[in-house]
Amino acid sequence: MSLDSFRSSSAPNSKRTLSFSNSASSIRSNDNNSANNKRKKMKTTATNQKTLGVAWGSNSSSSSRKPPFSDFGSYMTEKNRKLHNQFNAEASTSSFSASTSGKPIFAGVSIFVDGFTVPSSQELRGYMLKYGGRFENYFSRHRVTHIICTNLPDSKVKNLRAFSAGLPVVKPTWILDSVASNRLLTWVPYQLEQLPNNQPKLSAFFSLRNSKMSEDTFTNALCQVEPDIEDSSARVGNSKDRYSSDVAKVVEPSWQITIEADDVVSENTDAIMMEEQLTSVGVKCDEEDPVGGSNDAAKDVMNFQGELKPNNEEPSTSVTSLCSNDQNVNEIASSSSTRPSKQCHSTLSDPNFVENYFKSSRLHFIGTWRNRYRKRFPIPSTGFDNEISNINASTVSGNAVVIHVDMDCFFVSVVIRNHPELLDKPVAVCHSNNSKGTAEISSANYPARSYGIRAGMFVRDAKALCPHLVIFPYNFEAYEEVADQFYSILHRCCNKVQAVSCDEAFLDVTHSKVEDPELLASSIRKEIYETTGCTASAGIAGNMLMARIATRTAKPDGQYHITPERVEDHLSQLPINALPGVGHVLQEKLKTQNVHTCGQLMMISKVSLQKDYGMKTGEMLWNYSRGIDNRLVGDFQECKSIGADVNWGVRFKDMKDCEKFLTSLCKEVSLRLQSCGMQGRTFSLKIKKKRKDADEPAKFMGCGDCENLSHSVTIPLATDNVEVLQRIVKQLFGNFYIDVKEIRGIGMHVSRLESSETSKQGAEKYNLKSWFTSGSASMEKQKHPIGNGHDKQNMDGTSVLESSALQGSSVQMDNNIQDNQASADRISTPPPLCHLDAEVIRNLPPEVFSELNEIYGGKLVDYIAKGEGISESSSSLRNSLLEQEAINKKEELLDVEPIPQKNPLTKIEAMQNEAEGGEAVPDSGSGPSFNVTRNSSFEKDDLLPSSLSQVDGSVLRELPEDLKAVIVQQLPAHRRQEICSNVALVPPNENLQVALGVKNSENPGSTHVLNESLWAGNPPKWVEKFKISSCLILKKLAEMYYKSGLTSTLSSVLYQIISEFHQLNLAHQISDDSVNITCELLKQYIKVKIGKDIEEIYICFRLLKRFAAKSHFFLQVYNGVFPYLQEAVDDNYGGSLLITR
Amino acid sequence: MERRENQTPQGQIARVLVEFLEVAIASVVFLKGVYPSGAFERRRYMNVVVQRACHPQLRYYIHATISGLLPFIQKGMVERVAVIFFNANDVPLEKFVFMLGVNLSYGSTVEEVDLQFSLRSFLSKLSISESLTKKLPPDSRWEITAYFRSLPEAGTSKEANLWIPSDTKQWQQPPLITPIKSMNCEPLCLQLYLEHPCLSESLL
Repeated sequence: MSLDSFRSSSAPNSKRTLSFSNSASSIRSNDNNSANNKRKKMKTTATNQKTLGVAWGSNSSSSSRKPPFSDFGSYMTEKNRKLHNQFNAEASTSSFSASTSGKPIFAGVSIFVDGFTVPSSQELRGYMLKYGGRFENYFSRHRVTHIICTNLPDSKVKNLRAFSAGLPVVKPTWILDSVASNRLLTWVPYQLEQLPNNQPKLSAFFSLRNSKMSEDTFTNALCQVEPDIEDSSARVGNSKDRYSSDVAKVVEPSWQITIEADDVVSENTDAIMMEEQLTSVGVKCDEEDPVGGSNDAAKDVMNFQGELKPNNEEPSTSVTSLCSNDQNVNEIASSSSTRPSKQCHSTLSDPNFVENYFKSSRLHFIGTWRNRYRKRFPIPSTGFDNEISNINASTVSGNAVVIHVDMDCFFVSVVIRNHPELLDKPVAVCHSNNSKGTAEISSANYPARSYGIRAGMFVRDAKALCPHLVIFPYNFEAYEEVADQFYSILHRCCNKVQAVSCDEAFLDVTHSKVEDPELLASSIRKEIYETTGCTASAGIAGNMLMARIATRTAKPDGQYHITPERVEDHLSQLPINALPGVGHVLQEKLKTQNVHTCGQLMMISKVSLQKDYGMKTGEMLWNYSRGIDNRLVGDFQECKSIGADVNWGVRFKDMKDCEKFLTSLCKEVSLRLQSCGMQGRTFSLKIKKKRKDADEPAKFMGCGDCENLSHSVTIPLATDNVEVLQRIVKQLFGNFYIDVKEIRGIGMHVSRLESSETSKQGAEKYNLKSWFTSGSASMEKQKHPIGNGHDKQNMDGTSVLESSALQGSSVQMDNNIQDNQASADRISTPPPLCHLDAEVIRNLPPEVFSELNEIYGGKLVDYIAKGEGISESSSSLRNSLLEQEAINKKEELLDVEPIPQKNPLTKIEAMQNEAEGGEAVPDSGSGPSFNVTRNSSFEKDDLLPSSLSQVDGSVLRELPEDLKAVIVQQLPAHRRQEICSNVALVPPNENLQVALGVKNSENPGSTHVLNESLWAGNPPKWVEKFKISSCLILKKLAEMYYKSGLTSTLSSVLYQIISEFHQLNLAHQISDDSVNITCELLKQYIKVKIGKDIEEIYICFRLLKRFAAKSHFFLQVYNGVFPYLQEAVDDNYGGSLLITR
Repeated sequence: MERRENQTPQGQIARVLVEFLEVAIASVVFLKGVYPSGAFERRRYMNVVVQRACHPQLRYYIHATISGLLPFIQKGMVERVAVIFFNANDVPLEKFVFMLGVNLSYGSTVEEVDLQFSLRSFLSKLSISESLTKKLPPDSRWEITAYFRSLPEAGTSKEANLWIPSDTKQWQQPPLITPIKSMNCEPLCLQLYLEHPCLSESLL
């Protein structure tokens, strides 16, 4: 809409103003008449009206007969009675029409819908009508059984019992799901998440009793089946009781039972508890083949079973060897030296379950392989960086050459490389060779693939497709060996190798001497074949994406070169799921858009892709469909989290099992952390919980249909300590309130990783410390390497006095350094007391605090008791020390005449002045042109710069939002503390006052920036600008921007300010500059928003008007912008904004 | 043809918008109390309580007017839809203006749920906006007026012929604007604000 169009339309005789008038005016008059009539009639009489309000009264025959309600209570009873009658009538009519009504699944359920719900309360009522439930319009704790709501106000959450009267508060999806599954589901999983789960669950108590009972039933069942072997069945029971089921011992005398027990099991498959009980026995049952198991023993047992009749007196070990001879796989079987001796593989029966699980997990092998690789082939730090720029240049210029090398069916070919006779036979790798089992094929060779066998298939399905399929177990040693050979070849041939997995890597050969990449690729493949006996395929192209796609074509045992000219041809027919990053979900979504190939994908604009699939994914799709890939070979991603997941074979009988399992999981995670040299701060526990209506999974001991739950916690100090992990996990697990019997998988992950070397040195100041050590090393001649000393001083809680004494005597200082270093070395995990943030400690929960206090031998209490004093004095002390050092260093650097050491006080003073001077510069500089003097970076005791002006804006912008917010939040607090501590430190502080005065006074030079757009970027430019401004109000505005959740609407910022308005009002001199810049900010905001969001502007200006009444600053701003605002509104809307307060 | 048009995002938006406007205008009329509250019944639309006219003629007027706009909204020709309240002398007293902006070049499909979410906030805001409005004198009347960006060519379609230039009296001075609600949910930008005559004028 333009100014012109409006102006003309508002002109009196404009033809552009149209009104719909085919009969409008007549209706108008009619309506007016009838309206007037009605009004009159309403006043005079209440009879014979069609209006709703009166209809209510006239319909209620009871009320007309009885006297009017005596009070509100009786009115409500009457109303409720009527509502019930209505409901019953409707329910009966709907149940008569039997076709529409469902079965009464909600019989006995009476819901009360509270507030806004997503299927509306009327829809819910409809469901209740249809499925035999009740619907209450008014809450009553006697009639209502469930409260349905999607959201609760905070007050109700806080006072839940008063609100719900102890009734379950459930989300409406409960009803929908129940209707969908045509039975009443339990409401427990549908509880409103908002509610704190503070009630202990009875299931914890029940589970103990249940297990006892089912054990009994099990024994009984066995006794009934085979009374004469009750002796041995008792032994089975016992062994389970002890969680150590030595199968060999139990099975031999009772193998008959197992067959009998098998029937029992199959009869009672729904008795899950029973089945769990039977796992140790069930291993031997055909129906329940334990496949994909955690140890080779599984196979042994199965073989054992096959041979059971002839060999039932043999000890199981000999059976194993016998079988393996038969099966002609003796090599593998004899490699069972690492095989765990335990014969069972559910969490229920195997005490070393976790270790064994990961010992035989292929995914774990791949996952941990990278660490081994890192260690073996450390990234050459020299030379690599230099080349990155070259790479950039070359990728831009488009002549880059990337080779993707991938071993052909690695897991199979490694295993069969010593069996040339199997080369053209179908072979697969799997945990178990049982042809009826549900173990998943993890890899199959090409002959097997031609039968349609795929990874992830159950063995029984694969065997059905190809009965003579040979199945091998994993051989992890061999994999490791071959992977190492593979990578040493690659590293020899090329200096830029990016490992993708143990059998797959990218090589960047752009700058290698080789002329023809195809020759290089074939020589690499040849060498791989000769060394490892396994074949590899290679794809050559201009970037990683295309190279990988080329490899697809090349496989098996071939190579393929996609030249830039052929890229388009190749992509146009490529199915979208061949692109990395396109999985099932994305593929399905694209299919609904009728996109099946990259060619079709190419037709969609980038904008709409980004609209549909998000910024990143959209851009990725757009790029990839055109064969554009900007990733660089050698870009490696630091791992962001380390963890371990177990979702096979997880069955718990009671809490004790579960705790034991968690303990070993923690051990595993801790080991992994340590092997990566990492420590983490955030710990999350994921639990797979069996869905209420899920059947026993198809895969034996698998997790089946589960819902995933997770809880996480962040601790202040990174750790890899097992005990800490165990404690955290226990606590996290406690948050779930889950029946352990329903757990089907547990995973634990650690994120916010820090390298353990650095984090061992203590809290976040470690970076500075390392800087310091290097700094002080360079100043060896200096007699005061004070930086190292301050730790000790702080630890002892020395006051300012003491420190000044220290500064005087260098001898004492040196001693301290020695002490300090020694003590620092001694303390390994807990950081030195001085590194603790008193604020954090004070806010710790009491139990954690007492624990920490114990660790520190009671010192913590003192530390905190000294509280503010210490933290302030110590920081000031540190500052002074640092500043001194800074000065010293500068002197040295500049070769200035050193200040005499005998006069520490003057020195501090001088230094203070200088430091403050330096500080004042960035502080007052809202203009970006201010030079950051070098000495200002020395002032701080950590890496936080004194103001944002020292922060590289581009770096800050790249940071994740939350981090950014934290940093920015940090700054002012940090600075404030600094200023007051400095004030406290130096008694003759006139100079300081001057310095501070300078700071508070206005700086000129913020006006010249008015031209640029203050609202561009994220966060908008003004935030940064205001942040560094000297005006408190502007600073506050910037701070509020971060507090308001980075929404980038001004109104949210202004709303935030209301709460802190009194602070702003503390009489500051306001300069024209800050008023001007705020006006400019508002003007630009108006410009941005006026067209689309006048409401936002309206809100802002109403707030501003409110502020203006109280603050002179805002009054000036308001008056400054108001004319502009009205002009803008007039331009856009042809009117002026009416602003009320 | 009609069906295919409705499948474009603009068609989809226009349908949602027309439906919404019908409800919103009924709410405005209810809010202003031109008719007794008994002339309306409580209904749920987009899961919020709204008022719907009971009187068939009133309902028809709103429905027919707004549905008549559908083809023009689809083409992006309608700039504003105003509900104007007049006093007995046909002088406008208050205008509820819906300012529409449909992005015609928007290509992909629209999540109706998102749209509903935004539109719902209009209805809930509207229901509590009575304090912003001025009390109408008795015997006032109202009409729906649409402001077009360009004049539809007469004769091109029979819908266009139904629309005639309005003879609504204009204010002499630019009005005072009180925004009620704005939304900008690509590809639809919708704003609702009130227009009142300037103070000097209202004294006349």
